[in-house]
Amino acid sequence: MSAIRNAPLQYDRHIESALSQIGELLKREYGLSKRTVGLLLLQTDTDIEKLVQKHEAEALPSIRKIVDETRSLYNQPLNYVIAMRRQQEATRLSSIVTTSRGKSGTGFTERLSRITMHPVTGSLILLAVLYLGLYQFVGVFGAGTLVDFFENTVFGQWINPWITGVAIRFVPYQWLRALFVGDYGIITLGLSYAVAIILPIVTTFFIVFSIIEDSGYLPRLSMLIDRIFKTIGLSGRAVIPIVLGLGCDTMATIVTRTQETKRERVITTLLLALAIPCSAQLGVIFAILSDSKLALVIWVLVVMLIMLLVGFLTSRILPGEKATFYMEIPPLRLPKISNVLVKTLTRLQWYLTEVIPFFIIASVMLWLGELTGVFNWIIALLKPVVAFIGLPQEAAQVFLYGFFRRDFGAAGLYDLHNSGAIVGIPLVVAAVTLTLFIPCIAQFMVMLKERGVKTALAIAIFIFPFAFVVGYFLNLVLTTLRVTL
Amino acid sequence: MNMRQTVLGVFGLGKRSGSCCGPATGPTENSLKKIAIVGTPNVGKSVIFNRLTGTYVTVSNYPGTTVDVTRGKSLIAGEKMEVVDTPGMYSLMPITEEERVARLLLFEEKPQAVLHVVDARNLERMLPFTMQLIEAGFPVILDLNMIDEMAAAGIEIDVVKLEKELNVPVVATVATTGKGLNDLRRRLAEYVGHPECTVTI
Repeated sequence: MSAIRNAPLQYDRHIESALSQIGELLKREYGLSKRTVGLLLLQTDTDIEKLVQKHEAEALPSIRKIVDETRSLYNQPLNYVIAMRRQQEATRLSSIVTTSRGKSGTGFTERLSRITMHPVTGSLILLAVLYLGLYQFVGVFGAGTLVDFFENTVFGQWINPWITGVAIRFVPYQWLRALFVGDYGIITLGLSYAVAIILPIVTTFFIVFSIIEDSGYLPRLSMLIDRIFKTIGLSGRAVIPIVLGLGCDTMATIVTRTQETKRERVITTLLLALAIPCSAQLGVIFAILSDSKLALVIWVLVVMLIMLLVGFLTSRILPGEKATFYMEIPPLRLPKISNVLVKTLTRLQWYLTEVIPFFIIASVMLWLGELTGVFNWIIALLKPVVAFIGLPQEAAQVFLYGFFRRDFGAAGLYDLHNSGAIVGIPLVVAAVTLTLFIPCIAQFMVMLKERGVKTALAIAIFIFPFAFVVGYFLNLVLTTLRVTL
Repeated sequence: MNMRQTVLGVFGLGKRSGSCCGPATGPTENSLKKIAIVGTPNVGKSVIFNRLTGTYVTVSNYPGTTVDVTRGKSLIAGEKMEVVDTPGMYSLMPITEEERVARLLLFEEKPQAVLHVVDARNLERMLPFTMQLIEAGFPVILDLNMIDEMAAAGIEIDVVKLEKELNVPVVATVATTGKGLNDLRRRLAEYVGHPECTVTI
């Protein structure tokens, strides 16, 4: 079988005549058939017009005249007329090559698929997925049992004492020892956070996420959330990046490219930076709040409320049209173990290669900061801010970690909670503020790249005080109501 | 199959001048024959890419996951070729940024084969894009993917007849299991290796 020129699809005579006229005017090669260039020009494709403008601007006025004349012959837009003709041919073709045994219709998967998208049953399924998948598996098992074992036993009892012993024997200088095994040491802080706290959490999260992803549940979740979003006037396309943001906000910020208008991209970028916790953050927060169900509920409600409120307000304030949401819904299928494993491993590999160097660099910077006194200076600056929202002084360093990375800050909070320094109301306040707080450096870099300096900076400048104001009011409300957590 | 060389970035963009029947030039990186994978989101483009190149791109049952262009190399009939995975596109008229990226790639890189991957269950909705690609003069191969799910839905497609009607090669695959991939490679090799298109520039 080889490629032979086809008899092209014929459109109606007005369009055909326009195509041949345009074809004669075009002298240049565009890497596309003249027919296609003509069709795209008829549909006022701006990119193609720009190309023609660049290479043979003299032909453009005559072409525009032909396009206008042709357009006036139809009641519908030309792209609609052209698309209908093509679809007509596609329908004819597919009907002569396809035979259907009529087994389709409302099978079990079809019914299940509808249930997942229905506002009521869909919400219940979502709650079940969140409870079993995220809360029980990631929060209780991953961030609880596994982290406890790695942090307290593997690092706490074996690695840290051993490496500290080695360091004391071979490194004579205290200041240099601190680089490896001090409070901010590469091994005792950086690696131990990365391996003992973050690794078990993201591993369990990636397993759940891969299963959900492979089953085809995510697009259905998007449809479900879209229905909820629409009721408050938010556009549905924001759903895809937002759901992906639960995995990694940085990736999700890149995915905002799928959105059609600049307005939507800005809103979604803001929501991702503000209110969507990434997987590691989510796992840690589930783990530290799991002692008190009420604390967890408060956290979920506050963050969701903020997201809906900010989304609602920005979609009112920012000008522009709302885009319609259209999405292909792939079939539901049973996840394949091999797919899930490969996906989980690939994600882990990607995550670790990104996170480990970062945690090491962060440790070095913190060590330098402590050595030079800059660290204490920043902490001193942060202390009143932290006290303002009712947190103990030690929380200041958690926010400093949070500047580096979301998950680094979350790991710090975990550590602080573990040592009993922060419980009850301050814990919820810290969790909420840290969730809303500034995006991590990687995410901010992507925001700069995708949205431009002005928008990215505006978002960051808004988020920073906003997170603390929310923390302040949450603390005020909870303490006034004397909520016991 | 197991060449773990993924070339990211956009080298050679817009530098190629050969047509689909141009003779193979020297074996330098930039002159590798190129296969572009296109199609609507979530039809298995990335899985086909992985199968052809042996590299791993995050694959998901979720539309819109390939935003940037991914490049890899594949050995097809003993010849090293570059395989390019594009973001999903619904038609040659782009709406979103990622569709624009995909289209630009087709225009500027002039691949030797454009592999249009479709969901076999929704042929009727997928064919308009195939027809646009053929109309534009691209060397199209149509890949009916997910034929297992199509069969499960009780649908059958007469591949030979479709091939005759469209006048381009049509293959049937199940990318997730690898079914039909040998056939696909063979057809790609024939198509790219012995181009018999008669168009001259």
